[in-house]
Amino acid sequence: MLTEAAVNLIHSYKNSLNSYDEVLDAKGQIKPVWLALFVNLQKLGLEELIIRNHEIIGKLKENGVTYNVYESPDGESRPWRLDPIPFLIEQKEWTLINRGVEQRARLLDLILKDLYGEQKLVKNAVIPAELVFANTGFFRPCMDIFQDKKNFLPLFAADMARGPDGRMWIVDNRTQAPSGSGYALENRLVTSKLLPELAEGMHINKLSPYFNGLQQRVLAMSEKGQESSNVIYLTPGPKNESYFEHAYLASYLGYTLAQGEDLQVRNNTVYLKSLDGLQRVDVILRRIDDDWCDPLELREDSRLGVPGLLQAMRMGNVRVMNPPGVSLVENHAFLAFMPSICRYFFGEDLIMPSVATWWCGHEKELKYVLANLNRLIIKKANRKSRFPSIYGRRLTEKELFFLRKQISAAPHEFVAQEEVSLSTTPSLIDGQIVPRYAALRTFLVSDGAGGYRAMDGGLTRSSPIKDRFVVSNQKGGLSKDTWIVSDDSHTFQEKVVLPHWAAANKLVSLPSRSAENLFWVGRYCERAMAVIKFMNIVINVVNLDRNFAGISKPGHIKILLEAFSHLSASLPGFVDDAEKLADPYKELLDVFANRSRPGSVASGVASFLNAVNAVRNQWDIEIWRIIDLIENSYSPTKDTLPINKSNLPKRIDSLYNHMFTFLGVVSETMPRDKSYLLLETGKLIERVLGKLTIIRHCFSEVNDDNVEEELVEAVLLNHHQLVQYRQLYKSRLGLVTMLDMVLLEKSHPFSIVNMLAELKDNLHRLPHGVENERLNAAEKAASKALLSIQLAEVMALADPNSKDDRLDLCQLLDGVSELVTQVSVELTSQYFSHSVMQNSFIKPIDDEEI
Amino acid sequence: MKRYKLVHKTIYEYPSLVMGYQSLLCLAPRNMPGQVCDDFELAIDPAPSEIVERKDYFGNTTHYFSLHTTHQELSVTAISLVHRDNESVGDAQALPDITCEEARKQLAQDRSLRMGLLEFMLPSPMVRWDDEIVAFAQDCFQDQLPLYECAKRFCQKIFSVFDFVPDFSTINTPIKEVLAAKKGVCQDFSHLAIACIRGMGFPVRYVSGYLETLPPPGKEKLQGSDASHAWISVFIPDFGWCDFDPTNNMVPGDRHIITAYGRDYSDVPPMKGIIFSSGKQKLKVEVDVIPLE
Repeated sequence: MLTEAAVNLIHSYKNSLNSYDEVLDAKGQIKPVWLALFVNLQKLGLEELIIRNHEIIGKLKENGVTYNVYESPDGESRPWRLDPIPFLIEQKEWTLINRGVEQRARLLDLILKDLYGEQKLVKNAVIPAELVFANTGFFRPCMDIFQDKKNFLPLFAADMARGPDGRMWIVDNRTQAPSGSGYALENRLVTSKLLPELAEGMHINKLSPYFNGLQQRVLAMSEKGQESSNVIYLTPGPKNESYFEHAYLASYLGYTLAQGEDLQVRNNTVYLKSLDGLQRVDVILRRIDDDWCDPLELREDSRLGVPGLLQAMRMGNVRVMNPPGVSLVENHAFLAFMPSICRYFFGEDLIMPSVATWWCGHEKELKYVLANLNRLIIKKANRKSRFPSIYGRRLTEKELFFLRKQISAAPHEFVAQEEVSLSTTPSLIDGQIVPRYAALRTFLVSDGAGGYRAMDGGLTRSSPIKDRFVVSNQKGGLSKDTWIVSDDSHTFQEKVVLPHWAAANKLVSLPSRSAENLFWVGRYCERAMAVIKFMNIVINVVNLDRNFAGISKPGHIKILLEAFSHLSASLPGFVDDAEKLADPYKELLDVFANRSRPGSVASGVASFLNAVNAVRNQWDIEIWRIIDLIENSYSPTKDTLPINKSNLPKRIDSLYNHMFTFLGVVSETMPRDKSYLLLETGKLIERVLGKLTIIRHCFSEVNDDNVEEELVEAVLLNHHQLVQYRQLYKSRLGLVTMLDMVLLEKSHPFSIVNMLAELKDNLHRLPHGVENERLNAAEKAASKALLSIQLAEVMALADPNSKDDRLDLCQLLDGVSELVTQVSVELTSQYFSHSVMQNSFIKPIDDEEI
Repeated sequence: MKRYKLVHKTIYEYPSLVMGYQSLLCLAPRNMPGQVCDDFELAIDPAPSEIVERKDYFGNTTHYFSLHTTHQELSVTAISLVHRDNESVGDAQALPDITCEEARKQLAQDRSLRMGLLEFMLPSPMVRWDDEIVAFAQDCFQDQLPLYECAKRFCQKIFSVFDFVPDFSTINTPIKEVLAAKKGVCQDFSHLAIACIRGMGFPVRYVSGYLETLPPPGKEKLQGSDASHAWISVFIPDFGWCDFDPTNNMVPGDRHIITAYGRDYSDVPPMKGIIFSSGKQKLKVEVDVIPLE
């Protein structure tokens, strides 16, 4: 039903156009699918759309959807940006596009097969030999690694844009490790959840068949018994720009997320270094570029790859998707030869043209390019060149002269392209629906039988800036959900169907690196919490003394503040610093907020968040919400006031509560597997060490009774045991009864004996390898620690040996701390691998250097 | 005819424990007209569970192995028996007389010839050139003179202008720096020669191998005194590949033993490896080229 308001909305959009737009057909009429969308948009109303947009921003942030920005000072990640207005393509047109990209994928597959084989294309002069031999994407060691002779290119992504004639053009071929399919999936999930009204009355194709096809392909690739196939999703790591997507897809597809150093080649076979020892790997889905895959045979300075990988591929012991070497066809010069290659292989024309491209290595083309330089874009044929794309029209006469000279000196290294022309599409910018340039990437997976299946949708990127196309995610572009709208009323619901055996993959194990990160998530979390908790106690004591002219001498304040400096490892801190002791706030604020200070809460939380991020596929959505809160409560944004004396207690409280919530949600939601055990173990180790530090520094010296009474109270508070203590003893606070409670009380989770028993139990449940029955070194250390606490005589410990010191107490606590530290060391050497990859030789000359 | 026993021993010492090692060797002499490798043996300590032999893209023989036991010293010894008989290949006196101009013309016009040689005419990972580098060879290559003669004269020029100085350069020293300093070792001279000759438009490849060295007169040859060697091979149309040794100003004969061909050193390093360790490493190489009667 076309209301007047909808007509107005369309008109006002049409009036803002100054280029060809997705909404209009060749005759200038609004396309039916867009009409339906505008009607839905109008029904929803602009105001509501803006509200939903805010919800989308919040949701993406909450889900932890990010895009890392290279070269930002602290590896900052940028929230993913999604425009609430989708990009629409009618089914009829999509079918055509599909045929075009499918043909393109089959063609590239054949090109790879030929060039890493007989090289008929070169021998028969279909392409010049330079396209292979001057191509830095042609890797000679890869000649014999392609095991599946029927399919060289399992995955492909095509970048497309609409030309002024209304046809879609292929702008770029992406063969190496195309990114974006995970973001496309997340965009769909968020849009359909938060903006269901937009799709009213429309039939939108699902994305899942593509992922289903991908999973089928992966399983078919693993040659041996598929029940036991072990699939790795290989990522360059948390610093990579699209790390979110790697973790997201790994967990969506059910594969183990790993980095190069998690894998090892032995006996020409790839293994995953896991908590349970080495596990054979059958298929690797890689998100690492070709040349970084194997430092032994490819780029030697790569620390991201797996040395020996190519050899394992040659022996047929592992399949890699896509196989390294496929970047050969990402070379820009190929775009110029696609029509003739297509005729050579298929005897037919390209269904979808590429953007017009000239390779300068032929005389005729070179002459044309030199004569038309001022309206072309000049690129190096080799993609991995530091030479930036040059827009001829932006150059001065002098610059054009030099560029001509440069091209003429090595013409085969250059290509020229026509400037890509794009269509505009409705976007929500600053509360208005306005036209912005957009381009689409779609994804294809081979069906293993010579054909390809394309995702029914894709990742649309649009420019936030008017009349300019800036879509690079690095530079802050927008993304859009992409709807393939069928007029067909039958809802095509294909669920991800997996063979029954795929679900019961018992081999899934925890890579050693993830294990280590989880351990440190536990440790960093507890470390930060221990400092915050004790800071809170100290602040209360300080305030009480200040404001109520304390009943006791302030002797205990010095002791507590010094103990605080020991606990937070922010020494010297308060220790013997009269000035700081007299006015503790400045130091406390610094230890809380100064991120560059070792031992500060801020630096501890930052380490915690880094560790959390490094194992981001471990967390479910509830946990991401809490992590978001923690992030907000420790790093001041422009909306929050700077931390000062008066808001510090509140900030402490909220951060403490959020971190406590994190532990709570972890313990409520995480499966009781090795991941959980390691996180708990890290937490317990840190907790025991922290609590012991405080007891030791409060009672190593003998003090007046009234001072010790204050200290006893602080320690009980620190152990969450004050309430229990009062119920039991009611009377005054005494050291003996306190020690009895914090060291030995079995019923309390924060007593040392309880924590050590739990630690010992956790260690026992971790994998033990062949010597299953025996205690390992970590368990032995934990048992010794537990035993020495169990044997403690609290009366004797409380009793000063000499007049001033409690040597026995110190000795016991120091001994236990040492044993617990040893547990950590033993765990590290047993479960976490620490060797670093190095190589011994040459560094290739950079492309542009001589 | 000459027969040799080659012993190439590489010892790595690591101050800290090495947990694993992956290695690729390119040490086995090639079988080709004029050279036969009668025997090749690898002794690796600690011993790997398997050594995989393979022919690489350029037809060289490589050996891959990996170690997974912790170790602090690794020794790899390659022992080969080779006989060389250059004269059996053809009449050494009948030198090719195709001129530079004719050679260039043929390379430009014969498409299939050019296709097969292109990767030895283009820049490669360690060899790129500019006008200054090419200018160094300009006077040696004259259009009307035979290409073979020009290449030989050019290697002579390198020999007379440059000093052989072992510790000046590493394998990563850029060609330009070598050209400016006028000193280096055989890899440097070979890379410089390749850059210049490719810059002049002719196909040339890198040769990795050994040279039998002769002790000073009246002295006994010292053990381990030889080294792996490198020189170049220029393609002369209508004739074939011709080797030149710019380091010694000679045309390689029976005393040169060929291990591998490549575009440059990066295609054929005798031994490369990835170590899993956090410490540094010390490397010692001993080569003996022992003539057999």
